[in-house]
Amino acid sequence: MRCAWLLPAGGAILAAPYAQVAHAAEYLSVDAAQRKAFPEATAFEAIVVAADVKAAIAKEAGRFVVEPRIWRVRGGDRTLGWLFVDDVIGKQELITYALALDATGAVRSLEILAYRETHGDAIRLPAWRAQFTGKRVSDPVRLDADIRNVSGATLSCRHVTEGVRRLLLIHERVLAHA
Amino acid sequence: MPETVVDIRRAQPWLGTRVEIVASGGPLRAVEAAIEAAFAAIAGVHHALSAQDDDSELARVNRAALGAPQAVSQAFRDVLACALDVARESGGAFDPALGMLPAAARAVAAGSPAAPRATWRDVRLHGGAVRFARPLALDFDGIAKGYAVDRAIAALVAGGVTAACVNAGGDLRVIGPRDETVHVRTGGAQSVLLPVATIGDAALATSAYGGARRSIGGRFRTPLIEPRNRLPVMSTRTVSIVAPTCMLADALTKVVALRGRRAAATLARLGASATILTPARGTWRCTRIAGAPAATRGAD
Repeated sequence: MRCAWLLPAGGAILAAPYAQVAHAAEYLSVDAAQRKAFPEATAFEAIVVAADVKAAIAKEAGRFVVEPRIWRVRGGDRTLGWLFVDDVIGKQELITYALALDATGAVRSLEILAYRETHGDAIRLPAWRAQFTGKRVSDPVRLDADIRNVSGATLSCRHVTEGVRRLLLIHERVLAHA
Repeated sequence: MPETVVDIRRAQPWLGTRVEIVASGGPLRAVEAAIEAAFAAIAGVHHALSAQDDDSELARVNRAALGAPQAVSQAFRDVLACALDVARESGGAFDPALGMLPAAARAVAAGSPAAPRATWRDVRLHGGAVRFARPLALDFDGIAKGYAVDRAIAALVAGGVTAACVNAGGDLRVIGPRDETVHVRTGGAQSVLLPVATIGDAALATSAYGGARRSIGGRFRTPLIEPRNRLPVMSTRTVSIVAPTCMLADALTKVVALRGRRAAATLARLGASATILTPARGTWRCTRIAGAPAATRGAD
């Protein structure tokens, strides 16, 4: 066990002013998430869901933060399942995640693709969120790169659970009949 | 020629939080397979020890262990044995027996109003079975996340990974030759991010109390409970513990949050050390328990 405590004991510590983004991590690109969830897939067909369906789901299960990206996963002629990429916003974190469903609509995997934390209300601004759109692991947004491991007040993943619920409703109402 | 990777970094939502695994030290496919196994180990702990899930092993034991001894899994035994150890070593400052009673046990408890409140001393663990001597409910909230991290590390090692960091919402453990710097996010509205420690082959857990309290039914509730009288404690401390295992670090954050410097002997006996951050007029005051930097250096 090796341990070196870094903060001077006894004295008063003045915390440095916040960076706009306190902590961020990129895990998987959308391509990598597709390959990982469905290694046997031959094609991913993008699906667009009608706005009125999403509006109805938003009413009972909360608003979508972004337009969720949806693919029908093909293995030759068969539908292997469905893949969603969606964002959720917590108190101070933006989480991009990928949900994979099998052909029956059962959850096959749930992966976090990216995580960004900020201070204040920047996360609510479309312009702040937009700077991450389409970013991938090979093209990382340079943030506080030296902050690798954060310990402290636990951030809840409740918003991911709510997001998954919305996507399952899309499957139940639209994709299951497609 | 085998393809060697630097770092594979993945995250999944488990245990109500974001669990991140960074691993390296082998061929890409082997490291990826080891990470899969590590997430599966975390999922296993999540399903066995969840207090919210009525189908969990924990819920089953809480419903039935007052009547008859309940056989439990290895994971359950590991966590309960450690929880009882920390309870004993801390004089009950950590107590896993303070969970919400299930309905059936509440009825029994109501029938015997003279009985003193149950504590960890009323939990019996013998030969792979658990029995309660009084109506009580186990709650592994303050320790299960740390245990899940330890199981994930074990799965990574079994999979041939030589360097890794597993971080379950701030409870983390590092293995391998590389030391990792850990930042702590303090609690409360004035939350800041500070580099708190550099660790290697060690675990670090933090409990950050921001003075939060809620009024439920006219009574104040806080995330921190004093086991002696079961009253909520208002705390503004952010407590980080470094220990050999994440389970131990996780459990000890509660002990230090309640006892402060008086927990020094407990920490020393368990091979742990602590830093407490307390807000003080726009700055943070830092208190260290159990020695100077690197005082805990030694055998794993």
